[in-house]
Amino acid sequence: MAVLEVRDLRARYSARGPEVLKGISFRVEADDFFAIIGPSGSGKSTLIRCINRLVEPSGGTIIFYDREVTKLRGRQMRLLRRDIGMIFQEFNLIDRMSVMDNVLSGRLGYTSNLRSLFRIFPRDDIQHALGLLDRVGLLDHVDKRADELSGGQRQRVGIARALMQNPKLLLVDEPTSALDPKISREVMALIKQMATELKVPCLCNIHDVTLAMEFCNKIIGLQDGNKMFDGPTEEMDQVMLNKIYDMEVL
Amino acid sequence: MSNALASPAPAPKPTVDSVIQSRRQNRYAKGTFFALLLIMVVWSIKITVIEDTDWERIGSLGKVFEAANRFIGVDISLFPSLIGPTIETLMIACLGTLLGVMLCIPAAWFGALNITPYKPITYPLARLTMTLSRSIHEIVWALFFVAAVGLGPLAGVLALAVRSIGFIAKMSAEAIEDIDPGPVDAIRATGGNDFQVVLYGILPQVLPQVLSVVIFEWEINIRRSAILGMVGAGGLGLVFFRQMNTFNYHGVTSVIVAILMLILLGELVSYFWRKAVI
Amino acid sequence: MNRAMDPRPATPSGTPQRVWSRFKFPGSLIGYAVWLSILVFLAYTVEYLDIPLDRLFGMFGRMGTTLANRYYPPDIEYIMDADYLEYVIETIQMAYLGALFGLLASIPLGWFGSYNMSPSRRYVFPIARLISMGCRSVHEMIWAILFVTIIGFGMLPGVLALMFFCTGFAAKLFAEEIEAIDMGPVDAMRASGANLFQIMLFGVFPQVRVAFTGIAIYTWDVAFRAATVIGFFGAGGMGWYLKRNILQIETERVAAILLSIVFLVLISEAISAWARARVMKMK
Repeated sequence: MAVLEVRDLRARYSARGPEVLKGISFRVEADDFFAIIGPSGSGKSTLIRCINRLVEPSGGTIIFYDREVTKLRGRQMRLLRRDIGMIFQEFNLIDRMSVMDNVLSGRLGYTSNLRSLFRIFPRDDIQHALGLLDRVGLLDHVDKRADELSGGQRQRVGIARALMQNPKLLLVDEPTSALDPKISREVMALIKQMATELKVPCLCNIHDVTLAMEFCNKIIGLQDGNKMFDGPTEEMDQVMLNKIYDMEVL
Repeated sequence: MSNALASPAPAPKPTVDSVIQSRRQNRYAKGTFFALLLIMVVWSIKITVIEDTDWERIGSLGKVFEAANRFIGVDISLFPSLIGPTIETLMIACLGTLLGVMLCIPAAWFGALNITPYKPITYPLARLTMTLSRSIHEIVWALFFVAAVGLGPLAGVLALAVRSIGFIAKMSAEAIEDIDPGPVDAIRATGGNDFQVVLYGILPQVLPQVLSVVIFEWEINIRRSAILGMVGAGGLGLVFFRQMNTFNYHGVTSVIVAILMLILLGELVSYFWRKAVI
Repeated sequence: MNRAMDPRPATPSGTPQRVWSRFKFPGSLIGYAVWLSILVFLAYTVEYLDIPLDRLFGMFGRMGTTLANRYYPPDIEYIMDADYLEYVIETIQMAYLGALFGLLASIPLGWFGSYNMSPSRRYVFPIARLISMGCRSVHEMIWAILFVTIIGFGMLPGVLALMFFCTGFAAKLFAEEIEAIDMGPVDAMRASGANLFQIMLFGVFPQVRVAFTGIAIYTWDVAFRAATVIGFFGAGGMGWYLKRNILQIETERVAAILLSIVFLVLISEAISAWARARVMKMK
């Protein structure tokens, strides 16, 4: 079965406001590294955030493996979110806490309230965290405060945190917008590498089309809340890009 | 090839055990600290509240609830006679705030680093005044003024005025210190004298903040004005005092309701004022 | 004036002539009306309250002499007495217990009363805000009198009164701080499947910790100031001495007690200012 199936997804920000997503449908398979591209305001970020319901869809269905995401409530929703990791544009780390604590916070969905209060995590979690930190190259920064790191380093902590959940799907919301071009490429390469290694499918919202075409195997093109393109990267051409962006794309 | 300037040996890589151990040590340190704090608090509670309270007189928890219950219920017949004192309370608060604002003009002027006339003397003087005003409880001020000018609303007005200087002058002085010097320079450049500089350069910039602070303090003064009557300064406080002395508990609750109504009025006025001004 | 000699640039033909006026109708009119009515009201209050403006300045002169005669010299020996000092210590303990419990109670109350993080915006949020407003609106002295009536004299009613009072305004300040946070880390915690308690723990508290410490220090300040006077109404502490001496018209002792109150509050403020500076650096 498909990892993720989205049918006629609709979203709006206020009850009487305009629709930001106007009926999007697509499927994500287990070996996909999907890119979502489109001009600003096309609904890319909203689409990503609807998948784990950080934003409430106003219509449509989302099916993750065999669970209907759109129907879950409360505890069921939290359990589902454990299986979906998310990487953010602004990193969203907890600035005053250490790198290690930030990475461990990815396991909160598996930790009891009491343990969370005292920040007691099982040995396995700590081992896993160290492994991930080593893999993203931050083993020397384990005890540093998150706000002492550079942008690229912070995003790598974000990647480690998302992967701590052992997720079955990775949502990536503009991972490189806040980074300079060279670091952007490194971070994208790292995400692609680890996703492939750990066999986690990715749904990635990117504004840089070059990076999208380079790292992703399938692309969805959005414009003004509508899906303009949905297919393998090879089939994307300049004509289609122009249509999506309604202008010349460099 | 060894190099005398080679970087020092890198710190040992963290292992699972080293991380667990350091986290555990961290937790123990924090835990001990809080445990000590807790002991201190418990000891404080013991020697103050527990030993000082006359537990026999209080009786059981039931008796406490019984006593509290006496307050539940309102003496409606009292309300008409409360209108006068309520208006009085409101007026004392208004006048007190107004007088306070007038007194704040020199206080904020002296207390702002950028416009204070003679820094070594006037600035510390202003700061001292503000601190004194803020540190002394309004009841203490009221007692002082009752002793000085006698019982009645005047003492209340003076007490509130002096108490308000602390906050209003402090906030105003900070607002003045934060202004953009551009407009001030511009007015000076066109040949304006000091008064015009203040009027056109400084005042427009700080007025919204100052007004906001004044409204805030006015609301608080309504609270204060209501109880100053208990020490003789007029208003609802006096009624409260009398009702307590005649053990008319429902009457006491009536007064409290009147006070709450007054405060609600204050909140409404403040809300609409903010909407209009800001 | 001959148009050819008029140095002012002509408006392009076709645009209507606009006249700027300082007084806009009806906006200005309403504004002036409001100010005028406020001034009239204030003038009326002076009348109503019977405040003798003409005698006012004379009063200050007399005030000076009264104070000099009856309140000076302050009876310093009286306040150095061991019994009094015991009451001073009591006052300090009452203040910090009241502030402490007030702060503890206001953390959940502030959380529930914060629009962004409240467990239920429909029910819990307005109730929490109402409770905190209620606690705030009742003056600390009224709380003291109420508790003294219910429980009796002593420090327990004092601590309870201070606690209720502090909860009111600390909860409001806490709620405002929580509403001002960056929601990014909160989103991240939500996305990983944490529950509301964990989100507060990891997403909110690290962001507001410094501000909370500032609020705690401020709460102590206010609590201590109130604690010095609360004894006046029977709730323990040095205020009791104040009342006794006022009733006995021992004015020199009253002066001494007032001085001691001012002195202690100033010291407490100095310590708070130092603590606040340390906290700022800790950021």
